[in-house]
Amino acid sequence: MDDYLIGVLSNIGVISFVALSAYLLLLTGEISFGQQAFFAIGAYAAGIATALWGWPLAAALVWGAAIGGGAALLVGIPTLRLHGLYFAVATLAFAEMVRILFELFHYQISIGGELVGPNGAEGFRNIRYIFDNNIDAFQFLLLIYSLLAVALLGFMLLERSRIGVTFRMIGEDETLAGLQGISVARHKILAAGIAGALAGVGGGLYAHLTTYVEPRIFDVMLGVHSLAYGLIGGLGTALGPLLGVLIDIGLLESIRILAGYRMIIFGGLVALLLIVRPRGLLDEQVVYWISRLWRRIFARVRRSRLNPRDRNV
Amino acid sequence: MRSATKAMAVAATLALCNLDSAQAQARARADVSCNPGPQTLQYDCVIKVANARTNEPLSGLTLTIGADMPSMPGAHSVRPAVATEDPDRGTYRARITLEMHGDWALQLNLSGATRDRVVKVLRFERDRVGEAVPARKHGPHKH
Amino acid sequence: MIDLVQNTIDGVMIGSSYGLLALGFTLIFGVMRKLNLSYGPSIMIGGYLGTVLYLQYGAGLLAVAGAVVVGAVITGIYVERLCFAPMKAGAGIASMVSSFAIWMQLEQVAILILPRHTYAFPALATGLPLEFWSLLVRIDHLIVLCCALGLAAAVQLMLYRTRFGLGLRAIVGNPVAAHLVGINVQMAVLLAFAGASAIGGVAGFLVLAVDQQITPMFGMWATLKGLIAMMIGGLGSVPGAVLGGLLLGVLEAHSQWYFGPHIRDLVAYLVLFAFLVLRPGGLLGGAPETTTPLKA
Repeated sequence: MDDYLIGVLSNIGVISFVALSAYLLLLTGEISFGQQAFFAIGAYAAGIATALWGWPLAAALVWGAAIGGGAALLVGIPTLRLHGLYFAVATLAFAEMVRILFELFHYQISIGGELVGPNGAEGFRNIRYIFDNNIDAFQFLLLIYSLLAVALLGFMLLERSRIGVTFRMIGEDETLAGLQGISVARHKILAAGIAGALAGVGGGLYAHLTTYVEPRIFDVMLGVHSLAYGLIGGLGTALGPLLGVLIDIGLLESIRILAGYRMIIFGGLVALLLIVRPRGLLDEQVVYWISRLWRRIFARVRRSRLNPRDRNV
Repeated sequence: MRSATKAMAVAATLALCNLDSAQAQARARADVSCNPGPQTLQYDCVIKVANARTNEPLSGLTLTIGADMPSMPGAHSVRPAVATEDPDRGTYRARITLEMHGDWALQLNLSGATRDRVVKVLRFERDRVGEAVPARKHGPHKH
Repeated sequence: MIDLVQNTIDGVMIGSSYGLLALGFTLIFGVMRKLNLSYGPSIMIGGYLGTVLYLQYGAGLLAVAGAVVVGAVITGIYVERLCFAPMKAGAGIASMVSSFAIWMQLEQVAILILPRHTYAFPALATGLPLEFWSLLVRIDHLIVLCCALGLAAAVQLMLYRTRFGLGLRAIVGNPVAAHLVGINVQMAVLLAFAGASAIGGVAGFLVLAVDQQITPMFGMWATLKGLIAMMIGGLGSVPGAVLGGLLLGVLEAHSQWYFGPHIRDLVAYLVLFAFLVLRPGGLLGGAPETTTPLKA
């Protein structure tokens, strides 16, 4: 696998985390423009852990996720009463505040005669863990995707579990869900925390992948993009946001020939797509049809294996 | 289903643990200067690579330059260009083609005897390449 | 003391441009209950057209202003037709994400028109600032303030004294009922969009003429400032938009004077966040409606 492909796939993997983060909140019916804040927090936290404190990567990633999740809870609680556009703008405001704070954040330690650490708007460079520890690009790619697989599995379980159904119920109609005796507040806070942690893991991976982060990376664009991925790929399943990331980054890479017009083409395609499929490619209906089809095939296979006598039961 | 999750989690943890083989690598330092090339959005870059600690030029490495725009990670990335080494040890040249003018984070990936990555952010304009200054936002003028 | 007053004056001046941006934004949002992320970029396209006229053909101030407004309106109509008109009633986020996709498109179009990072834009009014007892007021700022107040008054009049305005308010209240009463909702929305884009064009022209330069960052900046001012002032309220803009401007001016540009932006977002958490209706809005705007 050449380095370029590994690089692109790694990017897709890492951005998927933020996409999943925004998707989880969408499930509970809330639009968030701010998940990039937790991505940023995770990136800086994990980067500081390995580059300044000498922690191993695993601990740093957990640390990034924890701080990301914690920050999400901190923001999730005051914004509980907000809905729709108000919530969206509040998350946007929060994310921008975080970004500006990172532009003012200086925390440098002298290691081996060199200053290492975040340096405000100049960014945080030399997050060199994977180089210092001889991890090659392909190994890191495997790490990204195994963590992503764990996250996906988590989502699959969630969709079947009571909590997952509750999330979707809250997303459909919050008042009705509350009337059923569900503690809407607690579930929303739970969703916010998990989403924050997810973005935090992604951020930690990103920081180590690129070895350099600066506040500018974590701006509104990233936030709206992560939301858009879910909308493009489909809100019916956690694979939807992944599909969205794949389409965005993958398609953009393949229409490289039309370099100067990439965004024009891509933007137009997305707008047209959303007219015909306002809830994305893999929206709830499509997912239902696929699962029904799957069940039918399954049932037919099972029936054909039975004794001829039992076949018409 | 649950056992599958556990299995994946264990696999991921094992993967993480195996990655912690501590072996310090030589750190590289790179000085980059780029100039506009023959066509628009093409730039010829000269990179001098040296050992960060001893300042000894690092030669014989494979250097590829990738570029990404800080404002949108992954979306504008440029296909990496492989650099050729000059007879002058430690100096490499490459031509990169960017998508648009503006600030780009150049990723200098070194492999071979030394494996490292150095990132330099530069502002690429039509007729010059300079240091990237954090974007000036519109704002109220001071008298 | 002088500093305080001077900063407040500066703030009111810059705030009037924010108010203008918020005005257009609030018209669209008030009527459609959907967020248009391409608002700033549409204005930017107008701005780029004006810049081309100025740099390549040496056009005068009024011609440039006209170009900016026309460009903004045409782009606005394009956005409306592609992102908002074809969507069904409940697909608020789809429209919003679609407008985001078009935002990306418009940004690239702008860069194709004029590839460099900064271009000069004609100045609104050169000349020494006016002086009132050692307080300085720039003439161009004053023009912007008057335009803002004038336009806001005009829009408010339109909304409350004309049939068209009545129709718009009916659509805001209940689109289905408005349709049943014979109002051509599609056409009214299109006209409101065009009108909002025109106001945005004026706002954009004024800001660019005061700044005397244009960059590709203008689109996002305009959207964000308009959005913040609108939310602070109160969604869907015309006087709120202006008030919100002025308040934002004043807060920014003071923060920048004492703490610098980073804190200035931080304060803007902090105030917005505080308003949303404590008083989401903004300065002049009531409590947010029970029918939530923009449902997922």
